[in-house]
Amino acid sequence: MTTLLDVKDISKSFKLKGYWYHKQQFTALSPISFTIESKKTLAIVGEAGSGKSTLAKILVGAETPSSGSIYLNGQRLKEQSFKQRCQYIRMIFQDSGTTLNPSLTVEELLDEPLKINTQFDEAQRKQLIRTTLQKVGLLGDHMNFYPHMFSGGQKQRISLARAIILQPQVIILDEALASLDPSLRSQMINLLLDLQQQMGLAYILISHNLGTVRHFSDDVMVMSKGKVVEAGKTIDVIKHPKHKVTKKLMMSQNFQLTHK
Amino acid sequence: MNLLDIRNLSIELKTPNGNILAVDRVSLSIKEGEVRGVVGESGSGKSLLAQAIIGVLEDKWHVNADRFHWRGIDLLRLSIEERKQILCRDIAMIFQEPMSCLDPTTSIGEQLNEVLDTKQFKGFFWQKRKQRKEAVIKLLHKVGIKKHNICIKSYPHQLTEAICQRVMIAMALARKPILLIADEPTAAMESTNEGQIFRLLASLNQLKNMSILLISHDLENITHWTNTITVMYSGQFVEAGTTEQIFAKPMHPYTRALVDSSPNANLQLPAKSRLMALPGSIPILNHLPIGCRLGPRCPRAQQACVTAPKVNNFHGHKVSCHFPLTTSLRKDNY
Repeated sequence: MTTLLDVKDISKSFKLKGYWYHKQQFTALSPISFTIESKKTLAIVGEAGSGKSTLAKILVGAETPSSGSIYLNGQRLKEQSFKQRCQYIRMIFQDSGTTLNPSLTVEELLDEPLKINTQFDEAQRKQLIRTTLQKVGLLGDHMNFYPHMFSGGQKQRISLARAIILQPQVIILDEALASLDPSLRSQMINLLLDLQQQMGLAYILISHNLGTVRHFSDDVMVMSKGKVVEAGKTIDVIKHPKHKVTKKLMMSQNFQLTHK
Repeated sequence: MNLLDIRNLSIELKTPNGNILAVDRVSLSIKEGEVRGVVGESGSGKSLLAQAIIGVLEDKWHVNADRFHWRGIDLLRLSIEERKQILCRDIAMIFQEPMSCLDPTTSIGEQLNEVLDTKQFKGFFWQKRKQRKEAVIKLLHKVGIKKHNICIKSYPHQLTEAICQRVMIAMALARKPILLIADEPTAAMESTNEGQIFRLLASLNQLKNMSILLISHDLENITHWTNTITVMYSGQFVEAGTTEQIFAKPMHPYTRALVDSSPNANLQLPAKSRLMALPGSIPILNHLPIGCRLGPRCPRAQQACVTAPKVNNFHGHKVSCHFPLTTSLRKDNY
């Protein structure tokens, strides 16, 4: 299998306020390298402030990395090439309610990325929106609705539709499953797994629910303070955690599984 | 003896287009020193239930119940003032999103000062002032905040969410309540912080014999901490029993689906296989189905489900379903 996304030595540091000769730096991410193949899922686990969201922002292009480079299908992604990047790498955020523009209908919401990135005419765009909505389990007629008319789970489906409408290759899920109710969450996981098989997507799942990670991902990366402390196959890492941070994470969630 | 005994509590919303039953005949009882979990998806009326217990619902909601006893006192017969007095003394509540519940314009110390009982201080004003300060520090120590001096001076936005939640718990503890109602205390919190808050609540329950009503939308998160669980769906009572009963032998199709849908609970499930999930989502209040509200989504629904089922009691395991999952048990109606 070929490598889809290849990340080499990405790092990010922020300048802090300081005196002229005491310039301070805060390292949010130490150099990180990893690769993802298509139809695979990489999970990134870590506490708050471990740099996992910074990594997601860099991958999607919202932040520029201090050093390092990203290769997609062997081609280097330039910092300014948003057109290329936003077509192939898409992101779903945690709170779907606030990421959808409330003054636009679903059709307008989904139309926007198509207008900017594709050469389709209006009829083709409309047809594509209809089929994408059906793909995520909504009805084609839903495109005339406004976001407030949908429930939380349906809104998350609209964000997913917006992510897959450009036929991307990588989707980043930044805590996209955390705020959903349990039954909606399992529906969403089923849908994501189906789409992965159909479209050959690669997912980067950022989460702190180890149950979801165990079920959903092939590889896992545990981060702490901007460094990767442990990485490997999900089953191996969860069964035999080696690093202190991983063990602590496991401990804090282990009690959820067991009875008294 | 039952601390809180509620039978058939209904909460109604009066609208121009007719009345909406947001909570439909829910029963709940809490014993002394018990941790009871209330589980339901968002929109299942569990927060309404908690607000009805402490009486902070807005006027547009109408609460009625067959029985509403607090330690043997019928609360519905008392006047509002008397009721408020009893509830203030005995019940405390912590809310979800502690950041937004604390006053952003006053420091933590002042806010804690406000809730202290003035009757416990004696002496001249300078002595009282000193006692006050000590009481605040003591409260903070009780919830496990060691750096009390920094905490007292800071404002809510300067603290992390877990510390804010601890401050909320400290405020609730100031009046030494008998029952603590925790409405999703760990919503949107990191898992390590979540553990800390639950451990704190559990230790308070053990040491102070404080009963806790723990409200959550996630069944798997709270099973470790509760003695008994009540499950609600769309404002209706679904199932109640001890944690083991609910988790190991769920009788209602909805509880079954909740347990099955969590990847945490089913470790033998192969990775990347399909999870079990009920189709559809929880109905909105304007379009509630008649009878059992799970009906349209239920895999076992039959014609009888258009009438609301009665609550059956199988040795303390109460379930409200026409066709409960375990039929081998003898059905004994009390």
